[in-house]
Amino acid sequence: MLGLFGTLNLGARSLQTQQTGVEVAGQNLANINNTAYARQRVDIQTSPAISSYYGPEGTGANVVAITQLRNSIVDGQIQNENSVGSYWQSQQSALQYAQADLGEYINLQTSSTSSTSNDTTSGLAGDLSDLFNAFQSVATAPSSLTERQLLLNKAQTLADRLNQTSAKLTSLGQDLNTSMNNDVSSANSLLSDIAKLNDQIVNSEIPQGGVANDLRDLRQQKLEQLSQLVNIQTSTAANGTVSVSIGGTTMVSDRKVLDTLQTYDAGGGQMLVRAATSGTPLTLSGGSIRGTIDVRDGALKTLSSSLDTLAGQLIAQVNTLHQAGYSLSGTTGADFFTGTDAATIQVNSALTGDPSLIQAAGTAGASGDNSVALALAQLADQPISGLGNQTFSSAYSTIVSQLGNNLSTANQQLADHDAVSSMLSKQRDSVSGVSVDEEMTNLMQFQKAYAASAKLVTTVAEMLDTILSMKT
Amino acid sequence: MRVTANAFSSSLIAQLNQLSTRQYQLQNQVSTGQRITAPEDDPIAMQRTMDLNTAAAALQQRSTNISNLQDRSTLAYNSLKSLKTLSDRVGELATQADGTRSPEELKSYATEITQIIQQAAQLMNTKGANGYLFGGTQTDQPPFAVTTDANGNVTGVTYQGNSNVASSEIEPGVTLAVDVPGANTTGTGPRGMITDSRSGADLFNHLISLQNHLLAGDTASIAATDRSDLSKDEDNLTYQIGTIGAVQTRLDSASSAASTQSDSLSQMISKEAGADITSTLVQLNQAQYAYQAALQSSTGLLQRSLLNYL
Repeated sequence: MLGLFGTLNLGARSLQTQQTGVEVAGQNLANINNTAYARQRVDIQTSPAISSYYGPEGTGANVVAITQLRNSIVDGQIQNENSVGSYWQSQQSALQYAQADLGEYINLQTSSTSSTSNDTTSGLAGDLSDLFNAFQSVATAPSSLTERQLLLNKAQTLADRLNQTSAKLTSLGQDLNTSMNNDVSSANSLLSDIAKLNDQIVNSEIPQGGVANDLRDLRQQKLEQLSQLVNIQTSTAANGTVSVSIGGTTMVSDRKVLDTLQTYDAGGGQMLVRAATSGTPLTLSGGSIRGTIDVRDGALKTLSSSLDTLAGQLIAQVNTLHQAGYSLSGTTGADFFTGTDAATIQVNSALTGDPSLIQAAGTAGASGDNSVALALAQLADQPISGLGNQTFSSAYSTIVSQLGNNLSTANQQLADHDAVSSMLSKQRDSVSGVSVDEEMTNLMQFQKAYAASAKLVTTVAEMLDTILSMKT
Repeated sequence: MRVTANAFSSSLIAQLNQLSTRQYQLQNQVSTGQRITAPEDDPIAMQRTMDLNTAAAALQQRSTNISNLQDRSTLAYNSLKSLKTLSDRVGELATQADGTRSPEELKSYATEITQIIQQAAQLMNTKGANGYLFGGTQTDQPPFAVTTDANGNVTGVTYQGNSNVASSEIEPGVTLAVDVPGANTTGTGPRGMITDSRSGADLFNHLISLQNHLLAGDTASIAATDRSDLSKDEDNLTYQIGTIGAVQTRLDSASSAASTQSDSLSQMISKEAGADITSTLVQLNQAQYAYQAALQSSTGLLQRSLLNYL
């Protein structure tokens, strides 16, 4: 038998239990907008029974644990999907910059208003066809200085645009390296945060028992942040610590950071990532760092080298024809363009000073001869073997279309990623999300139980009074 | 499935984002009238549009070429017509200069021939926008230089040009030469306007010989050689008029072909890059409707929870 004092005790424990319930409901409601938070639940167990004449008799209930509701499979999937998403995101943003740097846009509206040109694209494509059309103009009026001057202007515009585009792409490459360095240092600080949290989790779980829910929430959030930067593999040890490995190298194990990430020059300014202590080059499989490396060494490298090839071929082909021609004053052998690639192409400065030096004629002393200018103009329609047997314009439109393709793939992949990641977060929400309705119901349940327990205490107190009043 | 309070708001945000993006894209398409603007919108159509644009720009350049060539050809034709009038007059004079004319009459004929030579040389030295018309590719100096003696009689006319002509592109890969050199004694290439080895034409030398024969009163030589020589020149001029006529016809047809092509090219460009306004507007309306529906339905849901009833 519990007796009156035992029952009073039971009432007091019940009050504590219900109060904990209210506290947990309060904690859940307070964290309702905390994305890292997983909802918690009070685990209530009956207290050990005591034996009596009538068999074991209950002694009320105790709180044994506050557990959090988490689905570790969904957590793992969210980590992986984060890596995929940020991989494409970094590709998308780099390619969007490249697209803007090329400046190749269609604008149908300009065609009707501008009378000088029926060009509906801006950018290099227009400049390229302007150059060949200017050669045509010179071919039609070979001795006209006006047409020659116009040709020089168009050629200069084209050269400037190539120089600018090349410079912009180079600086985009540098920006990508900077952003990779930032990502690497963020990843390193996340690694040390995770090791610290491992330590705190062990420190708070081992002595007191139980689970450090909130620290684990925080660690999961850090892991997810890290997985956006780089694809990670995690495993949980028996003591509750999480070990993190990247590209096969263990970075965090137990409570220590074993290794960190570091960028290094793999040769020719190509920045890659390796483990700082062991020096092993890391093959990353996702995340924004890998996305940055892939877009820099893939699409953007192809873009700049294609532009360089295009410019190089243009310089070579135009110069070969131009060198054989004769200027209005009979000089010959001069280059039309100087330089070797998109970054260095320039119109020969001797020509810009004196348009009559353009070598349009096929024979000396015949100012009306246009054979070289005509051959230069007809270069526009000639397949160039150095450009895969494409003409200059179609080689360039292929370059643009390739970039567009890469970007549209990234856009598509990101849309897919959004769908997957919203599905995953719905799944996580359905397990771990806090529901106002539920918590309000719980609050009412515990409140009522609390009131009832209090009633029990007052009832027992009255009973005690009754007993005590028997002796007067 | 368990649905929590934040599930509503987060999926609402995602939906509204999607619908806003869609509305933005469609609105852009409607306001610009374009289905694609940047390469990412449709890489293949972008490439085709760029190729079509290059073709359109080249076509426009060829139209400019053609109209320049038409101007030049018209100028050449006018000179040639005047030259023909002079040549007709020479024919009359050569016919009239028979044995029945007095030496004085023949001398006055000779004076007229001298004048005609000067006038013809001037015509052949016509200058266009691109230099002298009849000097072949030697466009920077007068093609014909007349030398006279103390009495003002012409002793010689020398050709200072060459027998080459420049050709320009009027259709892709098709070039056309509109110019006629003043003289061509090489036996190949375009026939010379004044002197040509193939037709035997040599107008200035024949005129000089006529002038000299008239001065000498040698009507027998006029009848024997000059008339037949001059008829060769006459034939050559007729040939040249025919040639220029043919060139002009070709230029006209190339010009009208270019404008037809230009029309069809701009149609193709707008088919490739243009937006179908009707269907785009319908889609835009749908997106707007969905957006409103999402907003309206969610405002009710988001405000309600168990709290409203406690």
